[in-house]
Amino acid sequence: MRNLPLLLLVALPAVILTMSPGSIPVVSAQEDDNDDIVDVEGEENSIVTDEEAEDEIVTASKDVITSILFTEPIHNPLSTLELPAGKLVEFLIGFTNKAEVDYIIETVNTSFRYPMDFNFYIQNFSTIAYNKVVKPNHEATLAYSFIPSDSFAGRPFGLNINLNYRDANGLSFNEAVFNETVQIIELDEGLDGETVFLYIFLAACVILTLVGGQQLLSSFGRKSRSTTRKATIELGTVNPNNVDYNWIPKETLNMINKSPKTPKQSPKQRKVKRSIGSDD
Amino acid sequence: MFIGSMKVQFLFCIAAALLVAAYGEEDDNDGARLLVAKLIHNKYLVENMDVIVKYTVYNTGNAAALEVEITDNSFDPDNFAHMSGELNARIDRVPPNTNVTHTVVVRPRKPGYFNFTSAEVLYRRKEDAPRLQVADSSEPGLAYFTSYKEYDKKFSSHVVDWAAFAVMTLPSLAIPFALWFSSKRKYEKLSRNTKKH
Repeated sequence: MRNLPLLLLVALPAVILTMSPGSIPVVSAQEDDNDDIVDVEGEENSIVTDEEAEDEIVTASKDVITSILFTEPIHNPLSTLELPAGKLVEFLIGFTNKAEVDYIIETVNTSFRYPMDFNFYIQNFSTIAYNKVVKPNHEATLAYSFIPSDSFAGRPFGLNINLNYRDANGLSFNEAVFNETVQIIELDEGLDGETVFLYIFLAACVILTLVGGQQLLSSFGRKSRSTTRKATIELGTVNPNNVDYNWIPKETLNMINKSPKTPKQSPKQRKVKRSIGSDD
Repeated sequence: MFIGSMKVQFLFCIAAALLVAAYGEEDDNDGARLLVAKLIHNKYLVENMDVIVKYTVYNTGNAAALEVEITDNSFDPDNFAHMSGELNARIDRVPPNTNVTHTVVVRPRKPGYFNFTSAEVLYRRKEDAPRLQVADSSEPGLAYFTSYKEYDKKFSSHVVDWAAFAVMTLPSLAIPFALWFSSKRKYEKLSRNTKKH
């Protein structure tokens, strides 16, 4: 009978562990402990631990819960974040103060880093000063937006979003709200200038070939037609100037017929005549 | 034996206490978690013209937020005319992983600089939450309302200006036309007379 409370004590935590969805923090806490132990034990990589210690001079406060939500583009947390190049990226940072003192959110700065080495900065975006006071048990939302450069399209970057804040006692804290590799993608828009001109060029080529083909065909046709015509219609030298006499009034025609046909004059003769006849 | 069992019991007690503590902390973490964005939807901010303010409530928690109340006291009636939408809106329920938007239209009464500050949101994390959670929305920040005159100079359709321009260009077009027309009529008369003959 004395074992009954003992059994209960064993059963209760097991039940809690299996039932609660948030059993992860417990596990992670244990892991952290393990890491600490490893660090203490294994002193051969002391340099690394020193660096970590330097980094951890300012860290997140335990009384503050931060969250991040990308509103533009909409991001599925399971996949890697894909940011369209040249388009606005907007995100919200949630800040919950669970301490007994005020917290002051100072700045947010965002940077692109080399994905292999996050100490290597590629681009810093503006550091925005919010200077927002968050009272105990209050929450605040911060909005931040930036535009990744067009020239970064198709490359992965380490996106680091850093939140700096301090408590009412003047202790500064610093938390990386987002620190992951993101992919900058190029949006293929429906109407790109380059493609439009490509299509125009292609259309011009097609028209050119059509016109060329038509010319070629017509020249062949004309050749054959002209040969046949020459064979059939014989005009001779009756009407060399192709004058349609139907249109000319009869009187005029008679006049033309009556007038003696002047022999063809050469310019020389004409000149001689003129010099004799007049003095112009 | 007795001492040993006591030791074991004590250890289990500690383990149980730790777990309960962890669970309690987790308990604090779950429930609704709201992010509230306040956005100004205008490209140009002009006095006596509509300014569209959009509030978007994102629930990133794992429970529905209840009795969400958005209150914006930053538009004081001296400087702003309230056109439409509620400055004190209440949304009964925001389910997890969804968002709700609320829009308010105001008109600034005078030009000049204005600092858009945050709206306040009250909500219940869970149904049995003991107190209301207070949250501040994001701040759109400092903005400048241009005067209507300035805006009109850039964007009006300039009807009066074009009418004036038309009147001013009229003589230079009308005088040559009148001259041409009179001469044309004169010649037409002449040609008619000749035809009659």
